[in-house]
Parts: sequence; structure tokens; C-alpha cells
Amino acid sequence: MKYVDEFRDPALGEVLAGEILGLVEPGHHYKFMEVCGGHTHSIYKYGIDDLLPANVELVHGPGCPVCVIPMGRVDDGISLAHEPDVIFTCFGDMLRVPGSDGTLLDAKAEGADIRMVYSPLDALRIAKANPDRPVIFFAIGFETTAPSTALTLKRAKAEGVKNFFCMCNHVTIVPPLRALLDSPDLRLDGFIGPGHVSTVVGVRPFEFIPAEYKKPIAVAGFEPLDVLHAIHMILTQIKEGRCEVENQYARVVPYDGNPRALEVMAEVFELRPHFEWRGMGFISQSGLKLSEAYADLDAEIQYSVPGIRVADPKACQCGEVLKGVIKPWECKVFGSGCTPERPIGTCMVSSEGACAAYYNYGRFAREREVV
Amino acid sequence: MTRLIADAAAALAPTCDYTTGCITCGDVAIPMSVMRLDDERGLALCSDDEGNSETVEIDLVAPVAPGDKLLVHAGTAIARLTEEVSA
Repeated sequence: MKYVDEFRDPALGEVLAGEILGLVEPGHHYKFMEVCGGHTHSIYKYGIDDLLPANVELVHGPGCPVCVIPMGRVDDGISLAHEPDVIFTCFGDMLRVPGSDGTLLDAKAEGADIRMVYSPLDALRIAKANPDRPVIFFAIGFETTAPSTALTLKRAKAEGVKNFFCMCNHVTIVPPLRALLDSPDLRLDGFIGPGHVSTVVGVRPFEFIPAEYKKPIAVAGFEPLDVLHAIHMILTQIKEGRCEVENQYARVVPYDGNPRALEVMAEVFELRPHFEWRGMGFISQSGLKLSEAYADLDAEIQYSVPGIRVADPKACQCGEVLKGVIKPWECKVFGSGCTPERPIGTCMVSSEGACAAYYNYGRFAREREVV
Repeated sequence: MTRLIADAAAALAPTCDYTTGCITCGDVAIPMSVMRLDDERGLALCSDDEGNSETVEIDLVAPVAPGDKLLVHAGTAIARLTEEVSA
């Protein structure tokens, strides 16, 4: 496939892996965080971990929007799904995220009309096909997905669709990164920056990482060679004593992002004063809600939601996994109490979650090590 | 009983496959070609290399023409792909 195959070339991968080996200092342990869940998935799927020297460690960051949803928000969604006549729509992974009393899939089994959609536009289509019933879209995602929701809400307003509502759970990438960097138990040498978030926000918002925290960052694509190349770029910066933002994914990511997407987001959304992140607590100005002009489409205004904060399950260590303090397999319930079929924590739910990705791919490598 | 029904629903529901990744929940976008345009509604029918087609919101990358390559995430084109920069 064009734009894909050329970034999966094993021969080039070997060359890059060889050069990476030449860039690391023996005796120094390098710890890099891939911010985005898409990268975590690629790393495990393609075995990128296996191509790296033993002293280069990859830590999985908080970049999976499903994984950072707190239980209270799931409960709020389930409560909306049980409202009379409501058709509740959300992305597939969200269906299996546990709230304090079951998942959206459990609510579906109890009779709620919950439908999986692949895009906000699909949800709007359902609303137009069912004009007598309210249709609520449970919006999640970082800045990659937020413009899609914003455009759909604009479209609903322009077309005068009166039965379409949105429960907004969109989050922004910079505040959690800052929270992570301020965390005292974190030791990182660099970041692999999120590729598709950056097509929207650009590379500029990440300049604070080298400027204020003295950590190099390379915004990267999602093919195996992209990830290897980004690691190569970060190691080269360290070796040459540089510390800056580099754009490995320049074939797609403009330095200033997509101005139209930012404009649409600014029109439809505004920042919440604070938003709760699973395992990370409340982070200031890290979540989006609908702006006043779109209050008529805001499910949280048009319906009452419990809005009760629910503590994360005690056994679950998603928070520490998301901060990169522990590896997925170091969690007490990984693979025993918590599996993709029966997840306790959100990191085990989404395909981009560190625990699910590790459960599906990484554990085999670890089993080999143990043997 | 509810759990049994939920399990059955889980087995039947077209959920995202966690072995291939979820296009909407993750930061995943796929290259697609524009097949046909609906200028009036600002939408395009796009197709990926495997022949799967999807109606795509093109506001963020407009104007586009049939044959253009776009990067599509959650039903919205978030970037344009060109031969020069992709090589």
C-alpha cells in the first residue's frame, strides 16, 4: 500500500537498528516515552522493542483517550443511555470500559439502545434517520478526533437537526504531558511525540518540553520505520548535546498544524477549568466542553447526569502504567484478574492501551526471556 | 443472566478488534483516495487501497479533487498526502 509499505521495509529497519546501536553509550540507560497509544500498538505489533539495544527502554504514555476516561464519566454515559427513547452512540472500545456498575455493553444488554459508530458523522446520520428520538454521541479523543466532532456539531446546527446531542469528553495533549513532567517519580530522557494529534495542533505546542524541561522530542509517524527513525533522532540529539523538537512525520505534519481544524475547534469547544484523568487525577484546562453557542447540543446541559466522581479500583494500577512508573506486567492484576476479555482497568480495554497491547504481543517476548 | 446477555452481545457486536487497532479511539489515520465529491454538503466518497469506501468530511483539507490522497481519521480528512512529501 502506498504511503505504508515503504515504511515497513525490514532491510531499512535493520540499518536503522544498527545505527541506533552505534548511538547509545554503554552503561547509560535510556528511557523514552511514546506519548501516543497508536505508537504503543505499533511497537508491540512490529516487535520494535526487540530491535532496540537492551539499555533503550520505551515507556508507554497517557495517549490513549479510552484509557484516560475516569469511571465517573462512564457512569454518566450509562445514565444518559438509560434516558427514555435515547439512542446512545460511541466508538467501539468505549463499550467495554468498566464504570462503577458495569459497562455500556452491560447497559445494552439491559435494554438501552447503544450503537457503535466509526465516526461522529455516523452518529449524526442515525439522528437524521430517527428524528423522533434523541441521539447522544459520547465524544472521546485528543485533538486528532476533536475537529471531527466539532465539524459534525457544526453540520448538525447548520442542517437544523434538533435531536442530536454530544457528551463531550475530548481532552488536550499538552496539560497531561506537563503534569507528567512535573511528576517527581518520573525519569525520562526523551519523548516520541504524537503524530496525528500533531497534524492538527502542529509541532509548536511541544516546544516547551525541550525549552522548560530539557527533554528532546521527535514527533513520529506510526509505521515501524517511523518509530525507529524517531528513536534514532532522539538518540542523535542526546549524543550531539542538542535538545529540541524534531518532526520525523514531516510528510504529514506541518509545523503549525491544521489552522482550519484549530479554528473549528475554537468555535465549537471551550476549555473546562479542569478534567479528571484516570490515574492522574484532575488536570487543569485539559478537557473540552461545548461552547455557549452550542449549548443546545450539549447532552450534559440538556440532560442531567450524576456527575459523581468514582475512585479507580484499588487493585488497578493504570495510573502508574500511564505515568510510566511501572510496566504493564508489573501490575498486580495484569493477565490474571485483568484481561482484554474482562478488563478491570481501562489500559486493558482499548487496543491502544498499554496493557492490552502488551497482553496481545509483548508478553510472548517476556515469556521467551523467562525461559 | 445480565452478564450472559452482555457476553453474547459482546461476541456479536462489531467491536473494534484489539489485534488490529481501533481507527477511531487511537490516534490512527488511514490514507484514502477521493473517488467522488458532494460539493454541496462538503463530503467526499473516499476509498482505501483495499477498496473499502467511506463518506469523508473534507472541510479541513478543502478544496479537494477526485484522485487526491487524504489522511482520514474518524470519518474526517485531517491532512492531505502528496507524492513529493511522502516519497
